[in-house]
Amino acid sequence: MLKFTLKRFALAALILVVAVTIMFLMIRAVPGDPVSIMLGPRATPELKERLIAEMALDQSIPKQLLLFFGGLLRGDLGVDVFSGRAVSEIVFEQLPHTLKLIFSAIAWSAILGIALGCYAAAHPNTWIDRVTATLSVSCIAAPAFVVALLSLLIFAVQLQWFPAIGVGEGFWDTAWHLVLPSFAIGLSWVGYIARLVRASMLEVMGESHIRTARAFGLSERRIISVYALRIAILPVVTVIGVGMGFLLSSAVFTEIVFARPGLGKLVIDSITTRNYPIVMGAVLVSTGLFVVSTALADLINALLDPRARTAT
Amino acid sequence: MRIEWKKAPVGRRGFLKGATALGAAAALPMGFAGRAMAQSDGVLRVRNYGDLSTMDPAHSVGVVDETIHAAVYNKLIQYTPGTEWGWKLDAAAMIEQADPTHIKFALRDDIGFTNGHGAMTAEDVKFSFERIIADATESPNKPDMGPLSHVEVTGEREGTIVLNDPFAPLWTIALPYITGNIVSKAATEAAGGRIGVDPVAESGPYLRTSWAAKEKTVLSRNPDWKGEAPVWDTIEILPIDDESTAEIAFDSGEIDLTRVSLGSVERYRSDVPNGGTLVENPSLFYVWLGMNLDHPKLQNQKLRQAIQHAIDVPSILQAAYFGAVEPSTGIVAPGLAGNRPASLVPPAADFAKAAELLAESGETNVTLMLDVLNKNEFTTAAQVIQATLASIGITVEINLLESGAFWSSGDNDDLQLVLNRFSMAPDPSYATAWFITEQAGIWNWERFSNEEFDKIHAMASQETDLEARGEMYRRAQDLMEESGAYRFITHEATPVVHSARITPGLRPDGLMLLRDFGKA
Repeated sequence: MLKFTLKRFALAALILVVAVTIMFLMIRAVPGDPVSIMLGPRATPELKERLIAEMALDQSIPKQLLLFFGGLLRGDLGVDVFSGRAVSEIVFEQLPHTLKLIFSAIAWSAILGIALGCYAAAHPNTWIDRVTATLSVSCIAAPAFVVALLSLLIFAVQLQWFPAIGVGEGFWDTAWHLVLPSFAIGLSWVGYIARLVRASMLEVMGESHIRTARAFGLSERRIISVYALRIAILPVVTVIGVGMGFLLSSAVFTEIVFARPGLGKLVIDSITTRNYPIVMGAVLVSTGLFVVSTALADLINALLDPRARTAT
Repeated sequence: MRIEWKKAPVGRRGFLKGATALGAAAALPMGFAGRAMAQSDGVLRVRNYGDLSTMDPAHSVGVVDETIHAAVYNKLIQYTPGTEWGWKLDAAAMIEQADPTHIKFALRDDIGFTNGHGAMTAEDVKFSFERIIADATESPNKPDMGPLSHVEVTGEREGTIVLNDPFAPLWTIALPYITGNIVSKAATEAAGGRIGVDPVAESGPYLRTSWAAKEKTVLSRNPDWKGEAPVWDTIEILPIDDESTAEIAFDSGEIDLTRVSLGSVERYRSDVPNGGTLVENPSLFYVWLGMNLDHPKLQNQKLRQAIQHAIDVPSILQAAYFGAVEPSTGIVAPGLAGNRPASLVPPAADFAKAAELLAESGETNVTLMLDVLNKNEFTTAAQVIQATLASIGITVEINLLESGAFWSSGDNDDLQLVLNRFSMAPDPSYATAWFITEQAGIWNWERFSNEEFDKIHAMASQETDLEARGEMYRRAQDLMEESGAYRFITHEATPVVHSARITPGLRPDGLMLLRDFGKA
């Protein structure tokens, strides 16, 4: 398991370096003079020159890349040229808001999706299964931005049950502010996970060790929750791991619609203003988040199913 | 295969437990119903379209920062709220123009800085103003101070602002706006000369209590403020860049005031939720279609004039701005000195004249590229322009650009037509500054170069007679239009909605003056 863990994290580190390098090159390829955009019409030539030097924009692209990774190894993501604050400080200030959003969305959608999937698998081809299937596919088909806007109009504007904007203060207020945004980005995952669990469960339920468990007279509930679900959930863990990337992109939109701070909004604002240090810092952290979550999903899979350790 | 669940027995106790839980769950949202509406009586919540970037007036990037700075710092004079541009005394007990280059002032004796930095003195005024123009500060706002030479301190609270040349915008931009904020000399020097995102010392009726990036800025009453007592205990300023989101937040009762999109004006005219009010303010922004005079395809003045006459401004305003704005006559908005009563080319298109001019130009098969920022109103306006120019035989290809690329277009020699929009401060010199020869290829994207225009720009800011000054700027705009490089479209508008419980303090262009907000 240790060897597997080391291999998996080495691969994760490599993916991170490649992804960040690609992002670095893409950002440099974006049209528009970053210094003019950042400083605006009032900037003096001296100020522009100083900024160019501070951002190392007068260096070649490979040199800039080396400087970036050099700083990264020292734990230095650079300084925001506008505020003079450390980029890491700015990024990590925003990160908790995005993590709360993503994890709350994943949590409720996984709990509900797994329950629905199990229930449908327990009643295959019955009206319950069909209703669950219809609901699941409807959830998958509902675009997050439509759900976000409609839920805002219904639950925030019309009924005024939930707040429309912001992140709140304190545990309960924060949780209350998370309801609508996490509902918006988690809804399609409910359907997706439910369908995945159902299909996986039905496959597992037909396997010989389940028949053996039945022969021993174990209750169906115990068979499902202890023996079948443990195996059936493996693809869900993988999907959730990979899904972190999709959730991050959904979070961008959700953060804008619900006026929430977060990594997504930070990246959008920084790209618009060509604030390269912040863009790179935020991209590095979000890519790292994605890579670590997929690596963790693999590790969890390996823990749950030893066959996965030898498969890679 | 059919899998049976064992039915769990539900007894009376179990049922009661479940029913209680369900009842509580169902009641929970009801308990929160109207929660968002129930703002504390002493808390004002307003939307700003961007987030605070600095507490240093020297490095303020515009109105977003200034909205907050104006509440926590003092100036010699402040803008007055209302429908006409004007100013009122703030930190100054007296201020007068002694002669065209000398302005005498005396400070009030009851203004002090926080964090133990003592009373505000003329030394603080001198430090604040001279800091803006010092090269070492690298302030992007230095041009606002114009020909400021220095400030003479003549007493503890008395001084004289000394200019190298007369400078009319001193009263309209320099003193009541960004550069007029007075910071504490002692506190700023102790901070190494630069103020970051946290204030080093404040003096206004409100203090900046906290700032959470991209979340909110909180102001609270300054307990040591001796002037007119601020109405609100707390002001929360929420950075919401998306107009639709801000409208939803207002409709749900979570904020007391927001600017709304022009597309929503009609809806709010018929009904503002929660008993609120719609205030339709004019704006200072100016939108125009520019033509690059250096481009080979646009060398022919008759062709440019044909384009001017073929663009139907009312159609653009109807399609792109939902009929909620008025046509502009130039770059200087109504209410400011130099606003023209009418443009040389009327807003409505004259296709017959345009066709005639095109024929006179001798140009055929004209195809032009129109660069446009990828925002709804501009893309719609571009499509209208494309359609109207097509009617006289000019083909327009629309080139949509995201903001970063668009705002870098200044040095693009291939630029042909561009639909542009500039922001503005309440002085005409702020508008003409971008169209002088020196700005060609920087912010003067049309490469318009006119000796008389440059001269007017230089002279008019020194003219203290309002009528004479206005006449100069009107002439400057005539010159722009006569070049054929400009088709003026609109100054847009700033529609604002506010809740029933507040009386907003707004500048004539609809921007917030937080210290002037009251309770209804």
